[in-house]
Order: sequence, then C-alpha cells, then structure tokens
Amino acid sequence: MRSSALLAAALLALVALLPLSGDAYWLRLGTTMLMYGVLAMSWNFIGGMAGYPSFASAAFFGLGAYAGAVAQKFGVPMGLAWVCAGGAALAFAALLGLALLRLRGHYFAIASLVVAEVLRELVNSATDLTGGGMGLNLPVPHDATVASQAQFFFYSMLGLAAITFTAMLLTTHSKLGFGLRCIQQNEAAADMLGVNTTLYKVAAFMLSGAFAGAAGALYASWVHYIEPPDVFDVLYSIKAIVMVLLGGAGSVFGPLFGAAIFLSLEELVWRNYLQVHTGVLGLMIVLLVLFLPKGVFARAVPRTRKKP
Amino acid sequence: MLSLQIFANGLVLGGLYACIAAGFSLVWGVLNIINILHGSFIVLGGYLAYYAYAKLGIHPFLSILIAAPLFFALGYALQRALINRMIAAPVLLTLSLTFGLDLMLSNGMLFAFTADFKKLTLDPPLGVLSLSGIVLPVDRLFAMLLALGLTGLLYLVLSRSRIGRAIVAVRMDREAAALMGVNVKRIYAVTFGVGALMAGASGPLLAMIFPISPLSGPAYLGKAFVICVLGGLGSVPGAMIGGLALGVVESFGGLWFGPEHAVTLSFTLLILMLLFRPTGLLGRAGYS
Amino acid sequence: MRPVSIRSIAAAVLAAAGVLLAAGAAAQGVIRIGAPLPLTGPLSPEAQKLQNGMNLWAETANKAGGVKVGAKRMKVEIVYVDYQSNTPRAVQATEKLITQDKVDFLFSPFGSGAAKAASSVSEKYEMPTIAATASSEQVYDQGYKYLFGVYTPNQTLTEPLADLVQKQAAGVQRVAILARNDLFPLAIAQEMEKSAKKRNMNVLYFEKYAIGTLDHASALSQIKALAPHWIFATGYINDLILIKKQMGDLGIEAPVVTMVAGPAYKEFVSALGKGAENVSSAAWWHPAVRYQSKDVFGSTENFNKLFRDKYGLDPDYGEASSAVSGVVLQLAIEAAGTLDRKAVREALAKMNTMTFFGPIKFGPTGQVNSLDPPVFQVQKGKQVVILPTAIKQGSLQLGVK
Repeated sequence: MRSSALLAAALLALVALLPLSGDAYWLRLGTTMLMYGVLAMSWNFIGGMAGYPSFASAAFFGLGAYAGAVAQKFGVPMGLAWVCAGGAALAFAALLGLALLRLRGHYFAIASLVVAEVLRELVNSATDLTGGGMGLNLPVPHDATVASQAQFFFYSMLGLAAITFTAMLLTTHSKLGFGLRCIQQNEAAADMLGVNTTLYKVAAFMLSGAFAGAAGALYASWVHYIEPPDVFDVLYSIKAIVMVLLGGAGSVFGPLFGAAIFLSLEELVWRNYLQVHTGVLGLMIVLLVLFLPKGVFARAVPRTRKKP
Repeated sequence: MLSLQIFANGLVLGGLYACIAAGFSLVWGVLNIINILHGSFIVLGGYLAYYAYAKLGIHPFLSILIAAPLFFALGYALQRALINRMIAAPVLLTLSLTFGLDLMLSNGMLFAFTADFKKLTLDPPLGVLSLSGIVLPVDRLFAMLLALGLTGLLYLVLSRSRIGRAIVAVRMDREAAALMGVNVKRIYAVTFGVGALMAGASGPLLAMIFPISPLSGPAYLGKAFVICVLGGLGSVPGAMIGGLALGVVESFGGLWFGPEHAVTLSFTLLILMLLFRPTGLLGRAGYS
Repeated sequence: MRPVSIRSIAAAVLAAAGVLLAAGAAAQGVIRIGAPLPLTGPLSPEAQKLQNGMNLWAETANKAGGVKVGAKRMKVEIVYVDYQSNTPRAVQATEKLITQDKVDFLFSPFGSGAAKAASSVSEKYEMPTIAATASSEQVYDQGYKYLFGVYTPNQTLTEPLADLVQKQAAGVQRVAILARNDLFPLAIAQEMEKSAKKRNMNVLYFEKYAIGTLDHASALSQIKALAPHWIFATGYINDLILIKKQMGDLGIEAPVVTMVAGPAYKEFVSALGKGAENVSSAAWWHPAVRYQSKDVFGSTENFNKLFRDKYGLDPDYGEASSAVSGVVLQLAIEAAGTLDRKAVREALAKMNTMTFFGPIKFGPTGQVNSLDPPVFQVQKGKQVVILPTAIKQGSLQLGVK
C-alpha cells in the first residue's frame, strides 16, 4: 500500500504538471486519461468491490453525455449541466439496479451490456430532442482561446477524477465498502449476516452510474458534437473493465494506474500500428486475462473465486 | 395480406436465427462460457463460402460441408489451448477472454478482407415463390430449411449418439457425469468444437442472404443472446423456438413500431425475459 | 503468476512517454496537408476513395513542378492519420495533425458527422480546412470561418430530381421514403420529403432504419402494401444493395425508384445485375460532365484520363471531390501568394473559378453553392446522366422491378 501510494503521488504530480507544457495535444491526452480514470473508478464500485460483472459503463456514459448536452441545449450553464447529468445517471442507475441486480453472473453481464444498445436506439429515435442519427451540437465558447479551453477541460476532468477518487476512498473504508466486499465473497452468507445486500448493491451501482454519467457530460461539452454510436460505444465498458483488471480490481489506486497504463499503450499502438490496433487491444486483453488476471500489481492475498 | 406476409418473413428469418443460436446456446449451457467469438465465426464461414463461390464456383450449400469440419477443428483446438485454462474462472474473466479473442479475429478479418461488404449473389438467381399473395424468396426459403435441418441434425446427434449424450450429461450435472466416467475436459473441447461448427456452417447460409463484412459479427451475436434467453440455455429445441419467436417478433415489431426499433425491441424483450422468466419460454434452468 | 514488478511497469510507462515525445518534425520546403481518414473500420472503403483522389492531385501537382507560392514553387505532401471510423478519434486525429504533425492545411474527415465534429478543432486553431464529402447544411451552421466544403447542400440533389419526376412522370403522387438513421442519409431523406411535399406529392411512408440493419423485409412489405409511385431510399452502398435485392425478392415494382448514394458506384450495378435497372440517383459529380478549367488537371476529361491511367477505373464523385479539395487549396494558395493561413482563408472565401469538378464559389457558410449536381439513372447496366440538360446522355426511364 505504501509503494502504490508513492507511485500514485508521482503520477498525480506528472499529470498536474501537464498544463505547463503548453501543448494542447498533451492536455488532450491528459484529459482523456483522467476521463478513463473516472470510468475505471466508477466501474470499480460495482465490478471491483461488489463483484458484479457490469458492462453498463457505456450506458451511463452515453446517458450522461446526452443529458448534459440536452441540458446545455436548453440553456443550462455547463457546470450545472454536468451535475444534472450525473444526477440523471444516478437516478437511472437506481432504477436499473433495482431491476437488474437480482440477476447474477452471465445474465447480469448480458443485461447490462444490452442496456447501452437499447438506450442508444432510444436516443437515435428521439430526433427532435437529441438530433437522432444526425448528432447534437454543443455551444462553443467563442471568446476562449485554444489553450484556455484545453486547460479548462483538463482541470474540470481532474476535478471530477479527484471527486470520484475521494468517493471511492470513503466507500472503501466505510460500512458500504465492507458490505460490498462481503457480498463479493459470498452474497448468501452476507445476506444471512444481516447485510442489506439489495441496498448496498444498488448504492454501488448508483455510484458507478453517477460518475460515469458526469464523465460523459464533461466529454460532450469538451468535444462539442456527439452522436449516439460515439457515446454509447460498448468499448467504453470494455475499456473500463480492462483498466481495472490491469491495475488490480478492488484496490484503491488500481483503476487509476490501469487507466494510465492503458492510455499510454493505446496511444502508442495508435501511432505505430495503424491497421491492427483493435487486434492489439484484443491481444492485450487475452494476455491480461490468461496471465495477469489480478492486475499488473498482483495482490498478495488472493480473492476467493466464485464456484461455477 | 400484410400480416400474413410479415408472419412468413418472420418465420423464414427465424429459421436462420435458430441455426445461429443453437451452437452458441450449447456452449453456454455446457461450458458456462459465453463465446463472443461466435458472431465472428459465422462471418468467417460466410467469407469462406463467398470466396469458394467467387473463385472456385463452389455452391454455398456445398461450402457448408467444407466449413463444418474446419470449424470443428478450429473450435476444438481453441478450447484446448486457451479457453480450457479459464473454465472455472469468474464470468468477468471468461467473457473478457472471448471478447479479446474476438477483437483479434475481427481485426484479422478486417485486415484480410477489408471492410467492403461482399455480397454472394447466386448466378442464376433462385427467384421467388408466390403462394396465395405471400411472396417468399427461394434462396431464403432454402437457407431456412437447411438451417432448420442442421439444427435438427444437431438435436439428433445430441440425443442419439454416445458423445451427444455425454455432452448432455455434462450439461445436466458435471460432477455426476465425471463420476460416470465421462472425460469432461474432452467433452468441453468437443462441445466448443460443435458450437464453432454450427457457427461456421450457418455462415454460408447467411452469406447467401445478407451482405458480409467483418463488422456484422456483433449483430449475429446479439441475436444469439436474445434467442438463448428466450429458448433456454443449452437446449437445441429451445434455440429453435427462440429463433422462430425472435424472427416473428422482429418482423411484427418492424411493422408496429417502425423498422428502426426492431433491434431495440428484441433487446427489451431480452431484458424483460431475464427479469421475469430467465429460464426461457421452455422453462429449462440454466447456469446463472 | 509472479507479480510484475512496479519498476518494470514504471519503465514501460516512461518508455511509452518517451516514444510519444518523439513527435514528427516538419520537413522543410514542402506544403504539408493533413488528412484524417477512416483507414480502418466500417468506413474504410470510403477512405480508400478519398485517398485515391488526394494522391492523384498531389502527384499531378508535384509533377507539374509543385504549387506556386509567391515566387517559388513548393511540393505537396499529404499526411494521413487513421481515425478508425470513430468520430471522437477523428477529432483527436485533427488536433494531432495540427499540433503534433504541424501541418499547414487540413482536409476534413469523411462524412458530415465527423467533419462537423473535427471542424470545432480546426476552427479553434484557425486552420483552413477543405471538406471533400460533407454535404449536410448542419455541418456548416456553426458560423465557422475556416471550413469550406465542395459539396452543395442536400436539397440541390433532391430539388432538380423532384422537378424532373414531376414533369416527366405525370401521375407520380404517392411517395415512400426509407432512410438510414445517420447524419447524411437522414438529412437528405428529409430534404426529399420537403421537395416532394412542395410539389403536392403525398409522402405516405417515412421511416428510419438503424445502422447495421440486416433485414428490411418488414419495412419493404409495408411499402409494398402502400403501392407507392416513387420509392426513395438512402443509406450507404451495402444498405442499398440489400434493400434493392429485397425489393426484388418481395416483388415490389414502382415507376420511379431513387437511391442515394449507391447507384453511383459500379459495385451497385455488378451486385444487383438486372435489379439495378432504371434505379435513379443524384450525386455531386459524374465523370460525364465536361468542364474546361485552369487548374492542374485542365479539364474533366483530362482528370478522368489521368485517373483511369493510375487506377484502372473511372472515377466516381467521392474520388473527384477529394481531388478537387486539393485543387481548390492549390488555387487558393496560388492566389494568396503565401502559406499564411489567414491569407489563404481570404482567397478561399473570394474564390470564383472553374475547376474540372465544376464552377467553385463558396457561399457565406463556407459551403459551395455554384455547382449543378447531376441526376443519373442506371440504364442497361450503365450510369446515364439525365440532368443537367447541358450534358444529358439520356432520358428518365420509368418502371423499376
């Protein structure tokens, strides 16, 4: 825990110093990494801590993106729109969680995967509200320079990442975190011991949704134009999972490390291996799952495996 | 009669869907693995048929016979080499594994075949069949019959042959089957091989009807999910019923809600089934 | 499973960072133009066409000695970056080209959606950007000054067509429209609806199908039941091939069937055979047009010839539009006499000249408004131009099976 805290501090320092480089592209990379970090941490609530294989990150991200974008379309100022989007995602996660968290294992995974598809098509058909297949424009602040805009979004994403991290830290050391760990080890036993499993699971799902949704809203304001296939992309769910696996599921710093490593690799591959980047991502996933399922910083204490 | 035409469309489509899902359902039911590669196997089988027809003039119906053993071998080898290591692992890891493998395969196909949609057009075309106001394209009809035939064959193999019954035994109770002397590891590999075989064999059938591209894999996979949940895991009759049901639901859904909602409808159905009747229409309990 | 040491991970991350720092340096004496294209993913066939056109222009310009910049001549180099058919990546690629690769000018990504998204970036950096394939007016509605598009707005395709049908196919009253739920196909379908309603035609059916739809039987059965006179379908080539094939399967016949944008491509005709007969379409250019120009190609015929020599087939409008993007940029640079971006931007805004593609003059939003898009029809397996009358090769034939 000591060494990972040190490494985290070093990483944070590096990241916080990015704006000094003055290069908008680097800031873009940094902002993306922070966004990935938020997605990974948000998944960690439900996937890492509670042990439910959720593929719903894309659904929350997309929902947040559209909620924020539509709010801004109606004149809501940016920051408030982000908060509203987070709230919308929170509410949606609550409802969805109540419905889906009764399912286990594969069934839960598939249902959560499919939610993104359904949401995408719903958004696609609501052409008058969301622009449907034609996408949605967000207002571009005309008086800001490239540099100031890049910095603004970088710091906003940094802020969101900090909030998410704090939430994760607090949860881990709280009764909720303890309850989630019990649920992950053996839900039936936890239930018998008096842990309100439904409440805790739904709470974890809600946290997962809120932060992913806020990230989506921030993203939409950042890129100024969104289309349903871009934000409801199942790859967001996959990447969130891969990042947490890379860094070590359930740990506090794991998701952030995973996000950093993943982004570096992704950028490296994109620049150098034009044709095969998805294949390389696939290879990475396969190697990770086969050889490093506990993450690159493998934990000394193995978690109990679920019995098939 | 529009409704009758829509119903007929749905049945024809459904027959094809049944074939897509049967192998997938079997693998899920027996190995408790969701094989994300299934969609890409179908596409690969389609490409096999396309090139066999374009370069060698081999009719797609014959390509099925070529594809079957090839894909069985591929599936068997894949299972033995990689997937077997993850047999008892949590859902997250097995799903991620097959997902990663699928990314590699579809990228490979994209690289090899490019993203242009390829259309296998039969020359001379098979024409249409007109029955009391309902029009049915003959190629679809044949493909549907073959698909149902293939699925039926699978059912027969499962219920009559020794290895088939061993597969069913493992599906019902793995420990008991092992105690009965069944080599469970081998059965896993065989089942996965059979799943791949069904996928690869349905490829040529689908290629005759739909354009092929490395990116159409996920669409087929999505249908397979829904059909498995509708029909119950590991059950071939279930896959047939689920497939036909899905075909009809999609057809009428397109009519009532507009074509853009057809897929949404099937996924909503999936979620509803999972919530209220996860054992499927036939009520066969599967692994959760 | 031995845990991988933290040290090695840190090393890997640092190495990655090191590689990232080694960004490309600009070459001297060469005009570098960035081209983010979907080289992989579902749109890669389109990227191929754009590359063909751009490369032909670059080669032809360089062979003629290069672009005249004031007193000297400079060669051109196109810097391609792949954005994997993914719009957010297109935006990232655009920024990378501007800030890391330090290109002098930009071509837009493919299609209206990505072009629109990327234009926010190029506008921020005041980088003149030419959009080869963005036709929807929504792309140009943000008040940007540095974006210029060589496709005329969608209604310039539907209006002449609707006029022609109204005049030459009297009695066409009932219209059915099936559109792909995507920026361009949906936008042009909406324009078609407007054009039809303007002429008092009855739009009985207007539905969208989801991207990636494999089966249109449901929608087409409904259309059949409505017995329309004019069926208008939009999508990309694979969608349209499938739709037309299923129309044939279901025995749908109508006096006029129009599809955008499949029939322009040879693949459409070869995949459908007789099924493509009498299907009409409109596009922004056709190799049959004839213009004499002062650009590096000199005339449409010469462009066609050079294209055929290099690639072995006739160009279609996607390939021509990417080539003319280069031509337009070259003309602007030569008019401005400098590579200064503001000056080139002014030259683009003032441009009023003839190219092999047609007369180019940009409207106030940056979209070209001077072209006369051809309407054509597949007759006996060949694409025959039926509008504008000046270059007409045949007349509208009615009856599609």
